[in-house]
Amino acid sequence: MLKSLNFSELFKNAKTAIDNRVRIITAGLSIIELRALLRGDPPTEKPNPRYKVHVTSFMFHIRPKFYQQASTIFTHTWRLGFFTVFFLALEIVTGLILMIFYTPTPAEAYNSILSLTSNIPFGKLMRDLHRLGAEGMVIFSVLHMLRTFLTGSYKKERSFTWLTGVVLLLVTLGLSFTGYLLPWDQLAYWAVTIGTSMAEAAPLFGNEINLLLRGAPDIGAGGLLRFYLLHIVLLPGIVVWMLSIHYYKVAREHSISLPAKYDREDLPKEITKKAKQRLDLLPDLLTHEVFLTTVGLFITILLTAFFYEAPLENIANPQQTPLDTKAPWYFWWLQGMLKMGDKTLMGIILPTIIFGILFAVPYIDRNPHREAHKRPLAIAIGLLATLTLVVLSYMGLPEYGIETPAAARIIQDLAPEEGLGELRAIPYDQLQPGVYEVNVTDAENMCPDLLWGCPILESVFVEYSDRVNEAAEEGKLPDAEAVLVIEEWQADLTKVTPRIIWSDGESGDRKSYEQHIFLHRDHDRDH
Amino acid sequence: MSRVQLEIFLGSILIAVTGFILLYVGFNEEKRMEEFVRYQAAQKIEVGAQLFEINCRGCHGLRGEGIPGLAPPLNDAHFFQARIAEVGWQGGLEDYIIATVSTGRQVSTRPDLYPGAGSPAMPTWSDEFGGPLRKDQIETLAAFILNWEATATGDVELVQIPSSEPSAEELADPVARGLLLYNQSGCAGCHAIEGISVGAVGPNLTTVGDTAATRIEGYSAEEYLRESIVNPLAYLVEGYDDLMLKNFADTVSDAELDDLVAFLLAQR
Ligand code: HEC
Ligand code: HEC
Ligand code: HEM
Repeated sequence: MLKSLNFSELFKNAKTAIDNRVRIITAGLSIIELRALLRGDPPTEKPNPRYKVHVTSFMFHIRPKFYQQASTIFTHTWRLGFFTVFFLALEIVTGLILMIFYTPTPAEAYNSILSLTSNIPFGKLMRDLHRLGAEGMVIFSVLHMLRTFLTGSYKKERSFTWLTGVVLLLVTLGLSFTGYLLPWDQLAYWAVTIGTSMAEAAPLFGNEINLLLRGAPDIGAGGLLRFYLLHIVLLPGIVVWMLSIHYYKVAREHSISLPAKYDREDLPKEITKKAKQRLDLLPDLLTHEVFLTTVGLFITILLTAFFYEAPLENIANPQQTPLDTKAPWYFWWLQGMLKMGDKTLMGIILPTIIFGILFAVPYIDRNPHREAHKRPLAIAIGLLATLTLVVLSYMGLPEYGIETPAAARIIQDLAPEEGLGELRAIPYDQLQPGVYEVNVTDAENMCPDLLWGCPILESVFVEYSDRVNEAAEEGKLPDAEAVLVIEEWQADLTKVTPRIIWSDGESGDRKSYEQHIFLHRDHDRDH
Repeated sequence: MSRVQLEIFLGSILIAVTGFILLYVGFNEEKRMEEFVRYQAAQKIEVGAQLFEINCRGCHGLRGEGIPGLAPPLNDAHFFQARIAEVGWQGGLEDYIIATVSTGRQVSTRPDLYPGAGSPAMPTWSDEFGGPLRKDQIETLAAFILNWEATATGDVELVQIPSSEPSAEELADPVARGLLLYNQSGCAGCHAIEGISVGAVGPNLTTVGDTAATRIEGYSAEEYLRESIVNPLAYLVEGYDDLMLKNFADTVSDAELDDLVAFLLAQR
């Protein structure tokens, strides 16, 4: 028996068996080949097994076999498209986890976010990541568009890639907008109410579109469910569909464009040759992508762990419109435009034209050259459009162009109805009860009885005094008397009342404006 | 080192560092979640305080001290220690508050002391029963009311400062004084004025400055308003019962009446 046992035969059989298994899993790569890949060694077999995976594996068949060396130069793509995909993947993973804990009904939505942050380990991190990822995806797809525009990469055969890109941008904005409503807080509710009311201004079918979106004249249970379904089913579906086309065009059909300067005819041969050298997916491109992913994860997790917090305001209240309703920042440009004209023109017709032009860019711009200095007009228009976007966004801020009465503005800035504001950021122990009168109370030493004094209260009081005095000088608050009243209201609850009394310009009557802000001791939270 | 190797090396370091960050976050989760539970409870009380001022102070007083002849205190030891036994309530105090506030109270249990607005003594508040507030809002009100316990039972003494609201004398504008009286005399508990109060027992007074002149033939707006306060029976607004308190003629001074009327005239 024993004699017939041939060890070397056995080893060989085992080795082949293992090798076969490995090749099945890796779609054709042997163990030795894998080792060579990781070490950056040349292929170990012929024909090159690293190309075989593109035929044998689904995941690899949608990947490029190689890119030309110069098209992967960092300052050509800035990896903006890649990071947009990174954020999309992050959104899908965190989104699936959030779905477990979220209930899309007006009665439960807000509570489910509360319990997510107070009751579920890593729940807040997931939410912060999802929110940060959403903003990142918007930023990076816009920058990515700007880069493909500036490098002239949308021309000729890449026209359709650009077109699918604009659809992706629209859907990305749609995803952000629909996601914005889901926490069902004041910020969300009113931003979305205003957003959808724009649909109402659309010619012909405005009212029907609005009804279709909201499910009722006002946003309620129906609207929330519709937004939720758009957010988790329809729009992600469109993204996956469009991205498949977009990416297939890049990876399998036209490859990434070479930087425009290689278009020149008079370049020395060896330079063109070097530029066109192949960088294979395995191992070069793939390692690079994995590396970029670790960079992306590191930065987003670092930010969410220590610096970034997704906002959550009070629960949505259809009966109470906050003084400042603010769209998410990537819609400020639209808010800015709305301030310049009526809803139909500025909110529907003009944006439609803008996106129409954006779609048509490759078809309008027939200039075959890609180098910046050969297309000065296009570059100038592109930069001008970017600048306009920034200016419009600034104009979209609630501070711009909307005249709020001075007293209300001052108090609202100090303690916004929604959000934190300086007044709410005063540590509880510094809220020493008392009546503090602007220009009377000595702001240097407001709390001599407190061991550490109350420097933050003092600085807020100084800010308040300055704003009141400024407005008084400008004639907006003649004969202003302003106080800040701090009262203990209950155990661990303090009521703060900023009150401004002034003479009305015309009638001379004394007018008064005040807000009541309640602060609980446990409101303080070290972030 | 080739670029591939460098990237594998740096990538591994980044994964390790990211892992450590996640571990750090994980170790702190327990504490952070506790903090958020406290934070959310605090927020509930803050929101409740705001709602109480808008909806309830008109009857139960600015600080829940009650208004004699109208509605009971909610901030005293009796309420916290004896009240649920007195009415024979089975559950806890929080349930009692939520149930009472949600459904309102048809008839006062102490009609001599606190008749409220008659029938119902306290209107329904929950939108489930036709009131103006949502369930979560009533829960915040309960959290706020329950937070009076420490002061009610004497465990905590609050620092009192001389004046919280400007006294009526301080305000030169009769309309502003009127607003103050409107809030302090219980009017706000029964009447709604957009942006000021949401009482639902009596008619909405948002535009009473205009409608007042049309109520009784031959009465100017001012005369009508004066009459409405001092002698509510003189004219019953259609659709409303005779629920307005009859004793304002005694409790409101002539000067205060002038201010109230000036304030109401300005509502148009
Ligand atoms: C129209 C005047 C009125 C208003 C406004 C009003 N209440 Fe009442 N409330 C009453 C009266 C009257 C009672 C019944 C007292 C009794 O039965 O003895 C009462 C009873 C209560 C009780 C039970 C007290 C006890 O001792 O049994 C609670 C709790 C309460 N109210 C809370 C509120 C809250 C919270 C609000 C604001 C949302 C509010 N009330 C607004 C008049 C009012
Ligand atoms: C207990 C609830 C209650 C309180 C408190 C109350 N009211 Fe009324 N009020 C009513 C009701 C009910 C009516 C309608 C019946 C009537 O006309 O008497 C009314 C009617 C009025 C009207 C007539 C409105 C119109 O449209 O013609 C005025 C004015 C008015 N109240 C002012 C006041 C003022 C001012 C106060 C505070 C000093 C006050 N009310 C306190 C319940 C109340
Ligand atoms: C969800 C949004 C988007 C994703 C995930 C995405 C993804 C990508 C990726 C991964 C590439 C490969 C090259 C690179 O990394 O730069 C690419 C190329 C390209 N994208 Fe996008 N993209 C998006 C939106 C857009 C938009 C808004 C536009 C323009 C309107 C656009 C136009 C292009 C073009 C023209 C190319 C080819 C670039 C070249 O060949 O140099 N894309 N896209």
